[in-house]
Amino acid sequence: MTTALRPSFWRTFWVNAVFAPRMSLGFMRLDFVLGTIFIIPLTQMVFFAFVAQLAQNPLSSVGFVVVGNAVATVTYSSVFSVCQTTDNEKQMGTMEHLLVSPANRLALYFGRGVVPILVSLATVSVALGYAVVLFHVPFALSSIPGLAVSIVLTAFAMVGFGLLLGGVALYLRTSIVLGNIFLFIGLLLSGTNFPLSELPPALQAIGDVLPLTWGIAAIRGAMGGEPLGSLLVLWGLVALCAAMSFGLAIGLWATFERRALATGSIARF
Amino acid sequence: MAARSYSRLRSLGASLRLAVLSFLADPQWLIPSMIAPVIFGLVSYMLFQGTSPTLVLYAILGAGMMSMWGQTLYGSGWATGQDRNLGTLEPTLSAPTPYLYVVLGRVIWNTVSGLLGGAIVFAVVGIAYGRPLPLANPLEFVLLFIFVILSLAAVGIVFSAAYVYTRYAGFIQNIGEFAFYVGTGCMFPIVLLPFWSNPVSLLFPPTWALDALRILAIPGYHGLAWGFWGDLIGAVATTVAYLAIAGTVFSRVEKHVLEVGNLSDW
Repeated sequence: MTTALRPSFWRTFWVNAVFAPRMSLGFMRLDFVLGTIFIIPLTQMVFFAFVAQLAQNPLSSVGFVVVGNAVATVTYSSVFSVCQTTDNEKQMGTMEHLLVSPANRLALYFGRGVVPILVSLATVSVALGYAVVLFHVPFALSSIPGLAVSIVLTAFAMVGFGLLLGGVALYLRTSIVLGNIFLFIGLLLSGTNFPLSELPPALQAIGDVLPLTWGIAAIRGAMGGEPLGSLLVLWGLVALCAAMSFGLAIGLWATFERRALATGSIARF
Repeated sequence: MAARSYSRLRSLGASLRLAVLSFLADPQWLIPSMIAPVIFGLVSYMLFQGTSPTLVLYAILGAGMMSMWGQTLYGSGWATGQDRNLGTLEPTLSAPTPYLYVVLGRVIWNTVSGLLGGAIVFAVVGIAYGRPLPLANPLEFVLLFIFVILSLAAVGIVFSAAYVYTRYAGFIQNIGEFAFYVGTGCMFPIVLLPFWSNPVSLLFPPTWALDALRILAIPGYHGLAWGFWGDLIGAVATTVAYLAIAGTVFSRVEKHVLEVGNLSDW
């Protein structure tokens, strides 16, 4: 009887994939999604391209900055939007229901990542298109397969990171501060605008654990026509970041869920 | 007549007081609007590092301006949005005091806290620089900095009035953020932009005010053709124009909403 009442893994997964953008994910209205895919990358890339043009820093050419920012804009849909899922559940009063539901947690959380992953894929692809067409970043058609793998891995890793932050936000009053920090921190610590080696060692170490750092390196490598051997290493690092983010996210949610059920207080907004 | 102005002042004071209290109760919203400018300031500083020493002032001015934009324009834009969200827009609009005075109280506080945010960003990037800033005219610079935020507040009030009519306020603010930074040349002179875009940039008071700030602060900076005083006149004129537009739009919005009564249909 208990088994019959428990919804299947895939049903939970798809229901969450379909409903989360309308309910709990932040900024997933169609107008926002279109703006995230087509407008934000363009304006952000133009902004930093002009700053790079003024700076004339040999380490940060316009092409370098433009590709970095093209990838970094993925943070809007993957991290900022996804980490708000906890806030919105709390605000709408649905967190308590979610915590007592028998739904499979893996399906519940991974399902929420489906649409952000698709939006992230679209965002990076369009932004790289802008980089090639508007900023004349060199690009060979032969690099498309490597680039595709890099983009997909980066989108997965970034959404995993967003879910991880959503898990942390379960314990906080609001995720908006956390979301804002990680929305922009990649611009400084992930080699978006200048090589990581320019940063002090402590900041470089922080940058090394961010999935965006390896995602940008993999995409730059693929666009620059790096050999498969180097790309495999970078893909491995992005995949490792993705696995660790998803794993830690599930672990955090489980921990806080147990705590919530024990104390009955954590789900309050 | 005297009683009427007293009532308006009282509403303005109450609105300001409530804005301060709300801020003190939950000051964390200051953080999000400072995170991006601080990071943009540091990124720009890293890009400008090792080039001309005066370029660090671009990073500081730009980041400070971004923070003030975040505080002032978002806050002012949200001045009507918060009523809509909380369901208090209709009762407030149907009250005897003109709605402009209620919004003005919030805008004044946003302006003050914007200045605070700008100062914090200024300090953070200045500390990262690690040396005394090569500011040419510090006192005039501070005065003009305050004027810049007033000009931003004027833009904010216009947005605030226009947002009564649209459900896309958040969309415009978020999507238009970088476009505004580019258009007003907050981190680089607008002469770097294509020539056709310059007239659009000049529609915004901060473009003029920022150019004046750079002329004042950066030794050897050659700004727009009309020089410092031309910039200042342009900044004052556009700010006054924005305030006039804001007043007109507000009274029209108020009249329209009270006549049609369809505010809930947005």
